[in-house]
This record gives sequence, structure tokens and C-alpha cells, in this order.
Amino acid sequence: MKDLLGRLAGMTIIGKKLIAVPIVCLGLLASSAWAQGELRFCLRSEPKTFDPLKVEDDASVTIRYLTGGVLMRMNRRTQVLEPELAESWKVSKDGKQITFKLRSGISFSDGTPFSAEDVAYTVKQLMDPALHSPTGDAFRSGPGNVETKIISPVQISITFPAAVAGLDRQFDQVAILSAHSPKKEMAVLGPFMVADYQPGATVLLKRNPNYWKTDAQGRKLPYLDSIELDIQPNRDVEMLRFKRGEIDLVNSLDSEYFDKLAATSPQLVHDAGPSLDSEQMWFNEVAKAPLPEYKKNWFRSAAFRRAISEAINRDDLSRVVFRGHAQAAVGPVSPANKFWFNARLKAEVYSPDAALKALQADGFHLQDGILKDKDGNAVVFSIITNSGNKYRERMATMIQEDLQKIGIRVNVVTLDFPSLIERMTQTFDYEAILLGLTNIGLDPNEQMNVWLSSSENHQWNPQEKSPETAWEAEIDRLMKAQASTADAKKRKEDFDRVQEIAVEQQPFIYLVNRNALSAVASSVQGASPVILAPQTYWNVETLSLKYSKPLTGQLRQNP
Amino acid sequence: MQSEVLLAARVSVRYGDRPAVLRDVELKIRRGEVLGLVGQSGSGKSTLAMAILGLLERKNSRPEGTIDFDGCDLLTLRERELRGLRGRKIALVLQSPLSSLNPALRIRTQLREAWRAHAAGSNANCEDAIRAALESVSLPSSDEFLRKYPSQMSVGQAQRVLIAMAVMHRPALLIADEATSALDVITQSEILKLFRQLNRSFGMAILYISHDLASVAGICDRIAILHQGQIVEIGTTEQVLVSPQHEYTQRLMAVMPKMPQGIALGRAAAN
Amino acid sequence: MSWRTNLGRALACAVLLLVVSLSLAANWLAPAGYAKQYREAADAPPSREHWLGTDEIGRDRFARVLYGTRISLLLAPAAALLTTLMAALVGGLGGYLGGRWARGAMAVTDLFLSLPWLFLLITVRAMMPLNVSPLASVLVTFLMLGLLGWTSAARVLCSTAGSLRESDFVRQARASGICGWRLFWIHVLPNLKPVLYAQFWISIPAFILSEANLGILGLGVAEPMPSWGSLLKELEGMVSVGEEPWKFVPLILLVVVVTSFQLVLSKQEEVAA
Repeated sequence: MKDLLGRLAGMTIIGKKLIAVPIVCLGLLASSAWAQGELRFCLRSEPKTFDPLKVEDDASVTIRYLTGGVLMRMNRRTQVLEPELAESWKVSKDGKQITFKLRSGISFSDGTPFSAEDVAYTVKQLMDPALHSPTGDAFRSGPGNVETKIISPVQISITFPAAVAGLDRQFDQVAILSAHSPKKEMAVLGPFMVADYQPGATVLLKRNPNYWKTDAQGRKLPYLDSIELDIQPNRDVEMLRFKRGEIDLVNSLDSEYFDKLAATSPQLVHDAGPSLDSEQMWFNEVAKAPLPEYKKNWFRSAAFRRAISEAINRDDLSRVVFRGHAQAAVGPVSPANKFWFNARLKAEVYSPDAALKALQADGFHLQDGILKDKDGNAVVFSIITNSGNKYRERMATMIQEDLQKIGIRVNVVTLDFPSLIERMTQTFDYEAILLGLTNIGLDPNEQMNVWLSSSENHQWNPQEKSPETAWEAEIDRLMKAQASTADAKKRKEDFDRVQEIAVEQQPFIYLVNRNALSAVASSVQGASPVILAPQTYWNVETLSLKYSKPLTGQLRQNP
Repeated sequence: MQSEVLLAARVSVRYGDRPAVLRDVELKIRRGEVLGLVGQSGSGKSTLAMAILGLLERKNSRPEGTIDFDGCDLLTLRERELRGLRGRKIALVLQSPLSSLNPALRIRTQLREAWRAHAAGSNANCEDAIRAALESVSLPSSDEFLRKYPSQMSVGQAQRVLIAMAVMHRPALLIADEATSALDVITQSEILKLFRQLNRSFGMAILYISHDLASVAGICDRIAILHQGQIVEIGTTEQVLVSPQHEYTQRLMAVMPKMPQGIALGRAAAN
Repeated sequence: MSWRTNLGRALACAVLLLVVSLSLAANWLAPAGYAKQYREAADAPPSREHWLGTDEIGRDRFARVLYGTRISLLLAPAAALLTTLMAALVGGLGGYLGGRWARGAMAVTDLFLSLPWLFLLITVRAMMPLNVSPLASVLVTFLMLGLLGWTSAARVLCSTAGSLRESDFVRQARASGICGWRLFWIHVLPNLKPVLYAQFWISIPAFILSEANLGILGLGVAEPMPSWGSLLKELEGMVSVGEEPWKFVPLILLVVVVTSFQLVLSKQEEVAA
């Protein structure tokens, strides 16, 4: 079913392409050449590295995506893996080995031919402990060496010491390096290559003349001649430059900007629906936290947490704070994650009455409009969030009013990020925190660091020596079980159960999933923004520009 | 009365390590007399005045010797005791009346403060004292006048206010440091007349400090000439004016424009 | 004292009186209060129900302006008074006493100026309990502002007081037997008035704005309580005035109030001088 849907989705894209092509051709006739000009957008930070194996930061991920050739790529729209440099592949039953059949006749940007040797070299580098490759970490499933076996120039098998969960999907992140090119990592297999880098200012990418892909008409891809990436950390400036037409794409747009832009030019903005990112709050369940015992008892009570969750009006949060560009969150996995989301789960129904009843059943009582616990302590707690994030401040203030309705007094405190992190990870001197979580990957393994009770990112109670509750022990077991098998169905079952436990226990009270908003200049053709990064330019090789840049220059010269 | 000594000073003052400003200056002021102290600027006149009032900058000035006033040595008194003398027994009138009055305060406040510094009495007492003081310097004591700020008065009025402030507590000694130098000729003669009048009616001794021998001549019983930190000549006004002994006094006499007629008359009247 | 300045002064007084009485009457004028969220009408333009529209989460802006005025108008001047007194005490007294005292006062001022305030404020926040009621947060905020803002004025005051100390009228006053506190209070302090007034009037708008910025460190006036600072924060990122002019009401109010205060006061200063 999933596959069929995927194929259908794929077909629509092809259909769209067929329609789009004649228009592109007309545009061509007008501009008289395939001078597709330069696409421009902003990097929000300085790229830390151009070595695809060392990539960690967002800016470097962008450059890797635009320049790196991978064996297979997850289609950002369908979330299905598609062949790239590998024509096909096969994962062994035990999940330890993967065998690739590679395309032939492909060469790197500098002309060095591509073969299985390069794949073997890349994997060797990737797994080299001395390199500390963050990408490589995902493959380190157990002790022992990774073995690569070159079967023929177009065939290679890689064997890992233990099963790697979602092994094939991990290769989406692995840009293949050349084993022989003198240009080292600057020789690439992707659609673009780095041509110039001005630190603090720009990264200029030129099209890779040796890129292997062609479109349906046999035209060499990518269409674009070059991409200029301007390093610009300030979002306001980025927005301003977009409005002036100096840049063509803006990813993860702010909902306020979105609405402002939509008011004047609705054709430029795209709301791709709920993203993987979630906003959530959680209570401090750390045993040694410097909080009064009775408060710790509230926070460690699942009934209390569930009641709070029930008393929060998530629809209002989405509607008011995000102006409708968000959806009530269901659980740890966003519904946008097509395969892994547990479709049996439903968003919490807002009901202060039910919440109050549940609290009364748990020993709380209302007295003069103030909720008190069984010992008569008034229920008062603070929610801290990072200052400067107006959405979180507004959510916290709305939650403050929601909980007021069941007699709970909430104090909203905004803290600078370092202080917040210190309280969250060092002193545990907090009661509740409201923060967001950015999910980059779809796979449950990407959330391993949050769910394992021994992990330091197990925020509500980090680094437990052994699971302190039965449900945490169960989550530990399920997460480990799903990680150690390659059987997708089994993994899905395990992770579905993790999601159910998370919703029952509410260690994180998930609030909303923000929509993936973006803006694309009208001159960009072929864009169809999606929820997954890189939203607007995931299909960069088939993007083109309607007008060549000099035209705007001429216009500007006229008084 | 005339012979009783009110103040006997024998004093040297130096600032820091520099040469002494006053060198062994010996000066006697008798009760009720007007003593003129004449010298050019920088001769140490003001330093002597400040030394008598104990208002020399304490940290880097070193007065040595004795200043006997009314039976005690001012140089050995503590600040508290000195404070009790200032304004009550010894009063001061400075050169520039407008800068000597606090620009931010009304006349009434300034007079009231001066009175309160040495008298504890009701507001009515204070008002009476203020009125009396103003009348004694021929100033109106109307409410309208008392509400004025120094900037709203003429220089002559301001100087009279200062004098009123100084004589409020009927001091035994009034030090007038260049008190008329900044005034125009007419105002100057009026103020001089006032000093003489106060001197007579209150029996108040005046140490009249000036660089101008001519103005001193009109009011003083005796004149002391201060030159480079030393008293070079002292004697009755007549002695000094008629037969100056010291070469410096002679030079001062020589630069005097001419003996104005009024002064001779003034002297005649005084005698 | 022309009739025109008198009229200006009367007008300014009337404006202040109006603003203060409106803010005091907030309970009657805006009975729903400043915290009520009309979530169906968030970020709404002015209407009969919401005269100045609503804020991002649907709270009545008119009510927030009134209650915010009450807080800021009461506490910013109070904090300004505190800094002015601190400046007068440290700078004025130091300068007046001169010598060691003046050097000491300047050393304290320099120390204060050189302290890493950001970190100190973070430490203060860390030491304060998280569960501070909004009202307490208001008091703490303005107290801190008051204790921090005095340094630059203290420097000016120190040198001014130093020169006053050498002035004829102080010498004359000392010769009249006035000394110590009385001399400082009656003769020196009134002459520092212009500097003190300036410090006071500069501080008020500065405090109103820095209160908003303290929110970054979790020290400002806490939600849901409004203040001019938090109301002005709304204007951050506003691109054009034309689009939503009613959002500028808090800013206009701030300008009007500060100007009126200055008008009323400059008059008195003139009389004093």
C-alpha cells in the first residue's frame, strides 16, 4: 500500500514534469540560450567543513547535499529510497551486509572515473576511528571491523560487525569520495561543485560538468549554471533580501513572515504541512533535583502529567501562536513521518474537566479555585523557556491561562539559552521546561539518544544508572530491540509500542508540530517544497530560473 | 576699649613644599578698630584671612605660630570649636558678592541657614533676626525681596545681603576680603560707609583686606602693608599715608592717582 | 514666564493627570483585565470590544496599555529616583568631600562600570527562585535597574561637586559656620540639581526600555503582567507604521508621557535657576 502510494506520488511528479517542460522551452526561446543563471539563497551559518564525512553543522549539510553523490537517496517527497550511484542494492537478512550494484561510466567532477574502489575507500574513511565522522557514528553498531569486498568494478559488498538498523537509509548521508583524485574531497559526484569560498560571505557552487544524470528529454542535469550561497545568520535580513529579489529561496520560514508575505504575494509562499519538528514541555523527574519532595511527587506521577497534557488546548496553540501553521502534536513521532508514525495514536482531546477529575482521583482537590495536593500544597510551578523565542513565550503564556482554569498557577520564566541548558543538564534546578526538538532523520534510531534511560539527552531524567520506572525499562528494551534487527516490520511494531508508552506516560508533553513553511521566488521553476530538509531545493538538479539575472540588472538601471 | 587686643596673630603659612606664603606675620587687631591690610595680589592677604577662620585647605597647608583670639589660640582649636566661632565671633565677607551667594537658593534660605548655624530658635525668631540684619544694611525685608534669587539682584544689593549675613550674630571681628573691589565707585563708597557705620554701631572690629590703598584709607584706623608674605609696615592711617617708611609703601603711594578730596573729609569726619 | 510656556505646562500637567487617572481607573475601563486571552480574536485590529485591538495571543491591548502604564509609570520613576539618589550620594558626596573620598567614589564608580553586568545579572537570576510571582518580579526588576543605573551620572556629579566645593559661596557658607551634612544638603546639593534632573529624566525612558530587555535574562516583568517594555517589544520587527498604526499606541504614550514630564519639570528648573 505504502509502495503503491509512493509510486502514485512519483507518477504525479513525472506528470508535472511533462507539463512543465514545454513552458520551460518557451522560456528558453525567449531568453535565447540555456543560460539558466544562478540560484541564490542563504546559509544561516558558516560551513565548518567541505569534507562530506566530517559534516555536522547545517551549512555543511547543505553543501554536502548539493555537491555530494550518494549511492541512494531518500526522495524527500515520498520518503522512499531511490537509486542514485547504485543501480540497485540488497541488504542481507541479518542486517549486517549490504551489496551494491553500481552504475558504470560515471566520473567525478574532475574527470576521475568512479568505481567500486571509491565506495570501498569512502567506507574505510567513514569508519576510521581517527576521523571521528559524525556520519560514521550511525553505522557503528558493535565492536569489530567493517569489511568491504569489491566483487567487480561495479559491485561491492560491505559487512558490518553487527546489524545496523535501517542500514540502506543511512547511505543517504554518505557522499562518495574519490580514492584516486588528486583533488581529494573537492572531486565530487553530485550536481554541483564548490567553485569559490569567501569566508563570512559566500560559497559559490558551479554545475558539475560530469554529472551523470539527464532529464527525460536527455538534457544534462542540473539545469542551473551555479548557486550562490550567502552566509547570513540574521533571519530578518534574509527575509528582506528575499523581498528585494536578491535571493530566491527561504527555508523554514517563520509563520509571521509567512503570513505577511502571503498577504501581498501568496504565490511565493508554501506551507508543506506539519514537519518532523515538535514543540514540547516536560517536567523535571530527576530524583536528586533541588525541589521540594511534594513537587517531585507531582512531577513523577503519570496521572499528573497526563492531566496537565489534557488541560492544554493544543488547537489554540497551533491556531493562535502559529496562526494555523502547526498541528496539535500526537506523540514522539510527527504524522509527517509517513512510515514510522503510529497511526493508531490520536491527538489528545482538550478537556479541562476530565483533567480536573483525573487530578481529583489522584488525590488533588480544588480549594477556593486553587488546586491543592493531598497535603494541602497549592499546585504552583514554573515553566522555563529560552528567551527571544516569541512562539515559545506565547505558548507558555497560553498554557499558563489554560492551567489557571484547573486551579494551577504557572509562572513563566524566560532564560537565556546557556542558563536554561545549565539548569536542564547540570543543576536540574527547574520544574518544567518548554522547548522544541528538531528531528532531522525519519528513523527511530535518530531518537535513540532521547529514549534510552541511560542517555544524557533523556531530558526528564538523564543518565539513569538503571531504568527508574518499569515503563522506562520497557522503552529501553524496545528501542534496543528495534535497533538490532533489520526486519522493518518488527522494528515498526517495537517503535509503535514506544510511541504508545510515551503517550501513556507523557514524559514529554508534546504540544504541536510546526508546519514546514518556505518561500520560493516566482522566477524559480520546478520547485515543490516539502517538509523534509532541504525543503525548497531537495530537487535542486531540476530547478531552473525563468529570467536570467542580467535582466533585473537592466531594470534596476532605469530610473 | 581701644587698647584691648581682640586678635593677636604671629603666623607663618606654607602650602606643601613651596616657599611660605606668610612669613612670620605679626598682627594685632584691637576691639572695635578697623584695620586695613593692604598688599598686591599674591601677597598672602587672603591666606591670612583663611588662616584666622581655620578654612585653609587642611591637608596641604601648614599654618605655624599662634593666632590668639579672645583668649584662645585659633590654630590649636578643633574643627568643632572653630565652627562655633565662624559666623558667630568671626565673620567673612568675600570679594565677589554674586558668586559668594548660592545661586540656587533664595535670599531667605541663605540668611536662615546662616542664622540657624548658631541659633536654635523658633521660625519667628529667625524671621526677626533676618529682618533686623537686613535693616542694619539698609535693605528691604519685604517678603518679595526675601524670595529673590541672587541672580535677581544688583551687585550692591548682593553685597549688602552678604554683609547682613555676616553681621547677623554680631561678630566681634568681621573680615572683609576685597569686599568692595568688584563694585563700581558709587556702590563702593556706599558699602564703605556701611562698614564704618556697622563698626560704630556694633563696636565690631573689621579686618579690611584690599589691594587698593585708596579705598582702605577712607575707612581704616590703622593700616598694615603686606609684601611678599611679610608685614612691612604697620601704623595709623595718617602715619602710613603721610610718612610711609618702607620702600614698598612708598611705591604704593606713588601709584595712587591722587589723594581724593572725599577721603580727607572722611578722615576728618572719623576723627 | 510667558503665557505660552504656562499653557504648555498646564497641558503637560493635564496629560499626565489624564494618563495617571486612566491607568488607575483600569479596573473599570477594562474590566476583563490584562491577562484574559480572547483566542478567537488574536492579533485583531481595533474594534468596539477591543479599542486598540488585541495582541498576538488575543489579550486586549487597551487593557494592557492601561495596566502597563500603571506599572511602568509608578516604578520607572521610582527606580529613576533611586539611581538619582545613589548618584548624588556616591558622586555628589564623594566630590564634595574631595580628596580620598572623591578618589574612593570614583573607584567604586569605575568598578561598577567595569563589572560584567550581563554575567552578574545571570547570577542574580540563578540565585533567585524560579517561582517568583509576577508582582515580585516587577519590584525586583525595577530595584535592580535602580541599583545599576547610577554610574555615569555619579562621574559628572563628582566633578561638579568637586568644583562647587572650591566655590566662593561654599567658602562663604563655611565661614558662616555651616558645615557637614547641612552644608552639603543646603548649599551643594541644590546646585547639582540640573545634573540630577537630567539623570532622573534620562533614566525613566531608559528603564522602561531596559526592563523589556531584562526579560531576555528572565528578569523582566513576568507574564502575564504587562509593562511598557513588554508592550514596546511587540514593535520589534515591525516593518511599516502604516499597516497597523494602533500597535504604536504604547510608543506614542511613552513619548507623550516623558515629554510632558519634562515640560512640567523644566519649568521648575527655570524658576530654580
